[in-house]
Amino acid sequence: MRLIVLLILCGFWGGLSAQKTYSTYQQLTTRIKDLAGKNASLASVSSAGKSAGGKDLWLITLSQGNPGSKPALLLVGGLDGSHPAGSETLLLMAEKMLNNPSDQVKDLLSKKTLYIMACANPDAWDQGKSRFERSGNATSSDEDRDGRVNEDPFEDLNADGLITQLRVEDPSGTLIPSKSDPRILVKADPTKSEVGKYLLLSEGTDNDKDNNWNEDAEGGVNINKNFTFNYPYFEKESGVYAASEAETKAVLEFLYRNLNIFGVIVFGPENNLSSAIKFDAAKARNRIVTGPLEKDAAVGEYVSKMYNTSTGLKNAPAMPLGKGSLVQTAYYHAGRFGFGTPGWWPQMPPQDSSQKQKAPAAAATLSADEIFFKWADAEKVAVFADWKEIKHPDFPGKKVEVGGLLPYARWNPPVSYLDDIAQKHNKFLLDLAAAMPSLDIVNTKVEPLSGGVNRITVQVINKGFLPTFADLGNRVKYVSKVRTTLNHTATQTLLSGKKMNLQASMGAGEFVEYTWLVNGTGKISVTVTCPTAGTKTVEFTLN
Amino acid sequence: MNKLLLFFCLLGVTAFAQTQPNISPADLNGMRAVGSPADPKVKEEWRKYHDYAQISDFCQRMVKAHPDLVKLQSIGKSFQGREMWLMTITDYKSGIPDRKPGFYIDGNIHGNEIQGGEIAMYTAWYLAENFYTMPFIRELLRNRVFYIIPSINLDGRENFIHQPNTASSSRSGMMPFDDDDDGIIDEDKLDDLDGDGNIVTMRRKNPLGRWKVDPNYPTRMVPARTDEAGEYDLLGSEGLDNDGDGQVNEDNWGVYDPNRDWAWNWQPNYVQGGALFYPGTLPETRNIKSFVLAHPNIAGAQSYHNNGGMFLRGPGAAEDDPFYSQGDIAVYDVIGKIGEKIVPGYKYFIIHKDLYTVYGGEIDWFALTRGVFTFSNELMTSFKLFNQQPNAQQNRFQNQDYEEFDKYLLMGDGYVQWKPFKHPQFGDVEIGGPKKNYLRNHPGFLLEEDAHRNMSFTLLHAYQMPQLEVFSIVKKPLANNLTEITATVYNSRIMPTHSAHDLKYKIERPDYISLKNATVVAGMIVENEDFNQTKEQKYTPQTIEVPNIPGMGFVKVRWIVSGKVDKVTVEVDSRKGGLISKTE
Repeated sequence: MRLIVLLILCGFWGGLSAQKTYSTYQQLTTRIKDLAGKNASLASVSSAGKSAGGKDLWLITLSQGNPGSKPALLLVGGLDGSHPAGSETLLLMAEKMLNNPSDQVKDLLSKKTLYIMACANPDAWDQGKSRFERSGNATSSDEDRDGRVNEDPFEDLNADGLITQLRVEDPSGTLIPSKSDPRILVKADPTKSEVGKYLLLSEGTDNDKDNNWNEDAEGGVNINKNFTFNYPYFEKESGVYAASEAETKAVLEFLYRNLNIFGVIVFGPENNLSSAIKFDAAKARNRIVTGPLEKDAAVGEYVSKMYNTSTGLKNAPAMPLGKGSLVQTAYYHAGRFGFGTPGWWPQMPPQDSSQKQKAPAAAATLSADEIFFKWADAEKVAVFADWKEIKHPDFPGKKVEVGGLLPYARWNPPVSYLDDIAQKHNKFLLDLAAAMPSLDIVNTKVEPLSGGVNRITVQVINKGFLPTFADLGNRVKYVSKVRTTLNHTATQTLLSGKKMNLQASMGAGEFVEYTWLVNGTGKISVTVTCPTAGTKTVEFTLN
Repeated sequence: MNKLLLFFCLLGVTAFAQTQPNISPADLNGMRAVGSPADPKVKEEWRKYHDYAQISDFCQRMVKAHPDLVKLQSIGKSFQGREMWLMTITDYKSGIPDRKPGFYIDGNIHGNEIQGGEIAMYTAWYLAENFYTMPFIRELLRNRVFYIIPSINLDGRENFIHQPNTASSSRSGMMPFDDDDDGIIDEDKLDDLDGDGNIVTMRRKNPLGRWKVDPNYPTRMVPARTDEAGEYDLLGSEGLDNDGDGQVNEDNWGVYDPNRDWAWNWQPNYVQGGALFYPGTLPETRNIKSFVLAHPNIAGAQSYHNNGGMFLRGPGAAEDDPFYSQGDIAVYDVIGKIGEKIVPGYKYFIIHKDLYTVYGGEIDWFALTRGVFTFSNELMTSFKLFNQQPNAQQNRFQNQDYEEFDKYLLMGDGYVQWKPFKHPQFGDVEIGGPKKNYLRNHPGFLLEEDAHRNMSFTLLHAYQMPQLEVFSIVKKPLANNLTEITATVYNSRIMPTHSAHDLKYKIERPDYISLKNATVVAGMIVENEDFNQTKEQKYTPQTIEVPNIPGMGFVKVRWIVSGKVDKVTVEVDSRKGGLISKTE
C-alpha cells in the first residue's frame, strides 16, 4: 500500500509532463506565459498582485482587441488551496480554447473578454515534504490564538510521506465503520442499538498538550474565507479580519475596478451551478440582502439549466456557498453575478450490464462518499490508505491506526480526468458568453417639425438572453448603469429631453424609448453603453 | 462612580506627594497658572488650525525639543502621498516603549472635522511639556505609551483648508470616483464663485419662492410660513453645472466615507452609504490596521470627530449589541459618566442607539476586531456657545444661538454676507451664509479649552488601562524537599487585560506568568486558595497562562519546585498589561 501511495504522490505533484500531472507553481507559471507567448493576438498575461508569500497572481486575459471595452467574465481558481483541480481545470480550459481556436472561440473573444486567474492562492500550491491538505496562504497564523505560531503541526507518524488520519479505539468514540463501505466512518446511532468505537483525528501528536490534535499547523489564510460577505469572524483559516489578505484585495480590486465584469465564476469547493439558489422573499427583503433578488434568482435558474445541459454533468453533491467566499461577495457586495462549481466531482460508474435490471436508481440512494469510493474502485484510483496500527505516545495502551482518505484525493482526481472536464466547461463558457447581454438601438425615427426642429426617437434594447447586469447591481454605486447619450454639436440645441440618460438593469428583450427635440442641422448621433452589455452608436443627419 | 473618581484623585495626590519634580518649570514671573506649562519648549498657538505642513513642522519640533519623550514615524502615505505622522510618546528612559500598555489617538478621519487634529496635537504637547513638572504625567508616561496620529485623513484635511468648501464638504478623502456614472470622474465639483475660499448658499429673488430672510439675522434664510408668500428660492451650495448635464456639483472630489472602510460588520454602499469596495480600500485604513496589529499592546483608543458633544462607544449597529457584555459596558460606563462631568455639554452615547447606524466604522474595528476599549468623541456642541443646552422646543430656524454667538462673540466673523453674482445657469443670484469653519469646527477661543477638556477625558481613559504588579510571592516548604510558590498578580485599574469580548473569541493570547530561576515540577492556576482548588497546566508549567487579569482584580498562580528556594523572579508578560517582574 505504501508503495502505491508513494507512486500516486509522485504522479500527483512531481511529474515532469504538465499534461499528465498537476503542475508545480513554476510549471504553472511557464504554462501561463507560454499561453500568451504563443497566442499574442488573443491572450496576454499580467500579474494582478502578489501573494502573502510573494508569488505573482497571474492573470490571463483572453480577448481580441481592447479587453476593457467589452463585457467580460472573471474566472478564478484555487482560492481554497486544497482544491488544485480548480486551477488545473481553468488553465486547461484556456489552453484548449487557444489551441487552434475554433470560429466560435474567435467570435466569442472578438465580442467578449475572459479574465482568468487560475491560481489565486499560489502559496498553498507548492507543498512541503509532509503532504497535508493545505488551504491557506503564507500569512503566519496562530490558529488556536495561544500566542504560539504553528506549535501543533501534523506529524507523519507512519512515514509514508502523507498526512492522513488517526483512528483510535476508545470507549468515548462515537464512530463506527459504515455497513455499506467500511472505509467510511459514520456516527453510531443509539436508536439502532449501535455503540461507538472510534475517535477520528488527524495524523500527528498533541504537541502542546491541550487535547487538540494539530490545531495549529502551518498554513495561513484560506482566501475563500477572507472575502467580505458573511465573513466568518474568528474562525479557523479566515484571517484576522475581512479582506486582510493581499490575494483577497488583489481579486477585489480587479473585480471592482473592471466595470465590464458581468459575472464571476469560481472553480472551487462550492456549487450553485448544478442547482441554483432558490428565491427567498424574506432574505431578499432585508436591508442586508442575504438571498438573491427575484430576477437574479431566475437568472440563476436559467444559467444552471444551461450549465447542466452544456456540461452534461450529473449527480453533483451539494456544496453550499461558504462564509466569506468570492461567489457570494461578487454578488451581494459587488453586484455582479457569482457562480461556483468544483468542475470535477466523482461520477457514478456505469452499471454492470448483468445488474442493470436490479438497481435502476442507485445513485439517488447512495451518499456522496459512497459514490466517491465506487468511482475510485471502478477507475482504480488510489484514494485510501488502509488502516495500520502504530504506537502513539498520546494514547498509551490503546489501539491507534493510521490511514484513511489520502490528502487532496476527495476533490482532486488524477489530472487526466480534468481534460474532459475542461472541455465540457468550455462548452458551457461559450454558451454562457453567447447568452450575455447585448445592447442595440432599434426603431429609430427622425421627424422634422417646422422651423428646423427635429424629433429624434430611439429604442434601446437588450438583445441578449441575460440582463444587462444583476438586479442587485442597480443598488451598487460601482456598477455602471445603461447610459444613453445624445451627442449633439455646439450648433445644435436641445429643446427637450436629457442629454444623458441612465437606465437600471434591462432584462432579456427589454427596451426603453428616448425622445429628444433638437434645433439645428447636420450630423448627430445617439450612443448607448453599459460596460457589462456593450456599446452601440447610431448616426442621423438632421436637415 | 463617585468612589472611583475619588480614587482617581487620591492616586494623583499620592503620586505628587511621593515624587518631587526634578526640573522646575521656567516660570515667567514666579507664578505658573496651574495645569498649564508656563514656558513650553515647543511654542504653539492653540487658537488656530494646522495644515499638513504645519502638522509636520509641529511634530518635528516636538521630537527636537523632547528627544527622550517623543519619537516620530510615518506609518505610511495617504492616497495623495502625504506622510501619516505618528508620534510615540512615553518616558523612553524607563521600560521598553512598545511593551507598555498603549493608548492610540487619532483625529480627523473625516476631512472637514479638523479639530480632532489639534486636540491630538495638544495632547502630545501637554504630555511632553508637563512631564517634568507634573508627577501624574511623569507616572503616566513611565507606565504607558501614547501613539498619536493628528490626522488620518491628510488629503481631505488639506482640501478642506486650502480649497473652497462648506462646513460639511471634504468629509471624504481624495480617491477619485465617478459619482454620477457619466463616465467622467470628478468633473462637476463645488465652485467658489466669489473666490473667498468658502462655499456658501445661493439664493435667487423669486416671488414664487418659499423662503424669506430672517428678520432678526439677515444672513440667514428661513422658510415662509405655511400661509405666507415667500421671497426667495434656495439653489443649493455655491457652484456651476460644469459638465452641462443639468445638475450642479454632483461629481465632487471623492466621494466616500473613510469611516465606513473598516473590517467589522462592513457592508456595501447600498446598505451603508460611503462604503468603498472592501474594508481597507483606502491606504490610510490599511496603514493604521497594520500599525495596530503590530502593536498588540494597544489597550485603549480614541478617534476624534466632530460634532455634537458626545463620547461615543460602539457598537455601530444594533445587531452587534450582543458583543458588548455587561463587564465591558461597566468599564465604558465609568469613563463615559466621569466624562460627562469633565466636559460640560457632552453626553455619553452608544453609536447606533443615540446617533445612527454605522456599518464598518473605525470604532467597531478597534473594539470588536481587536478587543480594544475605544471611544470616539464628537467635538464641539452648540452647548458651548452660551454654556447651556439649546431650547429643545425650538426647531433649527427658531433657534438663534449660532447667529447670536456670531454677533456678540465673533463680531460677525462667522458668516459671509450676501453678495450678488451673475450665474451662467441661474441668472442673478446672491451668495452668502456660514463660513466653512463655523458651525462644526470650534471658534478659536473655544478650541484650547475644549482641547484640554477632551484630552483630560482621554487621559482618564488611558489611566484606566491595565496596570499590573506582582502583589506578593509566598513560599511554602513541602515534604520531599519541594517548595510551593504562590504569586498574586494585581491589576490596579478598571480595564482587564482582555475585554470580555476578547476572552470569548480569544483575540489576544493569554497573559503569561513565569517563574524564573527555579526548577519547576508542576504549575497551576489557583482558583480558590482557601479550599486549595487549583487547575494544573501540563504544558510549559514554568509559564502559567492565565486567560485574563480582571480590572481592579487579581489572579493567583502556583508552582511546585524542587529543592529549597531562596530568591525567585516572577515575570508577568501581558500583551495589553505590559511586561513586569518582581524578585523576592
